[in-house]
Amino acid sequence: MSSRSVQYTSSPLLASKTPIWRSQFIVAVIAAGFLGLVARAAYVQVIGNAFFKRQGDVRFVRTLDLPANRGRILDRHGNILASSVPVRGITANPEEIDRDPAKLKALAKLLGMSQAEIDKKLQDKDKTYVMLKRQVEESVAKEVAALKIKGVSDSPEYKRIYPEGESVAHVVGFANLENVGQEGVELTFNKDLGGKAGSRRVIKDRLGRVVEDIGEMVPPVDGRDLQLSIDSKVQYFAYEKIKESVINNKAAAGSVVVLDIKTGEVLALVNYPSYSPGKRGNLSGAQLRNRALTDTFEPGSTMKPLVVGLALEKGIVKPETLIQTAPGKLQMGTATITDAHPHGVLSVNEIIQKSSNVGTVKIAMQMQPHDMWEVFTQVGLGQKPQVPFPGAVAGKVRPYKTWRPIEQATMSYGYGLSTSLFQLAQAYTVFAHDGEMVPMSLVKTNQSQVNGARVFSSHNAAAIRNMLHMVTIQGGTAPKAQTMGYSVGGKTGTAHKVEGKGYASKKYRGFFVGIAPIDNPRIVVAVMVDEPTGGAYFGGDVAAPVFSQTVQQTLRMMGVQPDMAVKPQVVTKFEKESF
Amino acid sequence: MSRVSLLLMIAVMASALYLVRTQYESRSLTTDIDRASSLARNLETENDRLDVERRAQATPLRVEKLAREQLHMRTITPAITQYATVSGGAAASASAPAEVRP
Repeated sequence: MSSRSVQYTSSPLLASKTPIWRSQFIVAVIAAGFLGLVARAAYVQVIGNAFFKRQGDVRFVRTLDLPANRGRILDRHGNILASSVPVRGITANPEEIDRDPAKLKALAKLLGMSQAEIDKKLQDKDKTYVMLKRQVEESVAKEVAALKIKGVSDSPEYKRIYPEGESVAHVVGFANLENVGQEGVELTFNKDLGGKAGSRRVIKDRLGRVVEDIGEMVPPVDGRDLQLSIDSKVQYFAYEKIKESVINNKAAAGSVVVLDIKTGEVLALVNYPSYSPGKRGNLSGAQLRNRALTDTFEPGSTMKPLVVGLALEKGIVKPETLIQTAPGKLQMGTATITDAHPHGVLSVNEIIQKSSNVGTVKIAMQMQPHDMWEVFTQVGLGQKPQVPFPGAVAGKVRPYKTWRPIEQATMSYGYGLSTSLFQLAQAYTVFAHDGEMVPMSLVKTNQSQVNGARVFSSHNAAAIRNMLHMVTIQGGTAPKAQTMGYSVGGKTGTAHKVEGKGYASKKYRGFFVGIAPIDNPRIVVAVMVDEPTGGAYFGGDVAAPVFSQTVQQTLRMMGVQPDMAVKPQVVTKFEKESF
Repeated sequence: MSRVSLLLMIAVMASALYLVRTQYESRSLTTDIDRASSLARNLETENDRLDVERRAQATPLRVEKLAREQLHMRTITPAITQYATVSGGAAASASAPAEVRP
């Protein structure tokens, strides 16, 4: 054992004195470290808080749009006339798209586009977003997604579907790709139908799932469903009939208006030519025009019952009063008013039945212009109809103070003023509703009876209805308006079309407006055929048959029992056996 | 004293862990709700779409075409219609087809 060995605990190295500054230095460094952390924390939490919060939000907070559904448009029985269905818009990013020709070919085929079209859209490689096709059916979009082409994606969209197609096109109108109404009630009620989109702020996790809501959600307000007064069956039937008449008479266009006079609802409003609201490729103005409301014309003889009604009201004539209309001509200043055929002495009833211009003028000239003007105005002529429709026109009735006597005379048989077919139908509700002018509605009212403003007394309205009925029986101008089972009444009109400053010699407009059943009226139907060139052009020949068929089907669909005896043609087993 | 601190510390830790767990649960429930509500919305729109399709199959245009072409039906007129009155007349009219009266 060496005596030089030293005890470990008494190592001289340990004996050396550690300078105090070293421990102090370490403490100071650690303290500085902590101070640094505190400063950083203060910076992050207090000074730069907004910045950091924003950066955090950018990474995981998302604002989701909550789209509102556009309301549906329904007919009076709740059948869908327009509804929105979800579709997809297919988009691509030309910068990063996979340009594998086989895949692009399959894509073009699915989208129903040519490969050249697709290539053209993807030409500009600097773009990061192009729309390949909009409004693609969901099933097709799923197939596109299944192709798994890099750089092709889809986004949700809505498409408007119009199951009834052409027959209600002018009433319903259409909405564009952005779901904004462009025509018809889609435009008028756009605000109600459109609803209000909502939004919601959420935190999404790395898989894109929503894990937390932040703040308050703004719920979407879906558009309101709109129930129209239109009956889609009546509408369809009227459309088919006017289409048939326009084609058979080689006419330019035609319109039908059917009004329920008990409730003031519009049951049908059709125009031909029409269009399919779902396929709006090459649309022409002629197809788009809602003629029944936007086209005005001189109402011709259909004004006569209003003038005679006023004369009855003022006590100037009675239905049986006799008036000399021979020789079928009447000289007024430099102008001559003529009848189509000279008739001789006619009662007031017969003046309407035979549509005598001379007789009507003789009655009208006993009245004040102011009174005539007032009746025209009371029945809605010269005023925009209350139905909320884009482009509905007011027609024209000049102020009575500017009327010259010859103008008062021509206005009594419907020249020198203008009206739309809808206004004409509305004016006739005055006779149908016992002398009251019924307010019209295009939206279902759920009322069983409406009251209107009185224009004629109930007694005089019935007298005019009787005259209108005479028009449709033997000896009248429109026997073709008769329909099996129901009594009808109405007035024909045939007007020369105005072209430039005068009347076109061979262009006519034939129309008929009538009431059925005549004793207990339920509907007013107005029919107009524009520029018939197939030979017949009188309202009694081109428009009255459409009236007849429309009345019969409409009353049957409304469940109105026939008021005239019908020779039954029911073939039953019982009859067969008795053979 | 130190025992109380220890106890409190354990309580704080337990509470913190529980909070983490609750938050996790709440997030997965939110995901579920979100998924369910988007499913509900999808079903709703699907229902709307089917409604429209059903209507498209039953438009007067299609019904009339099928009735005429496949079922050989014709448009009805009052002459081939029997009107039955509700009050006691129903039975009578069924056996008396020849009379058509208002």
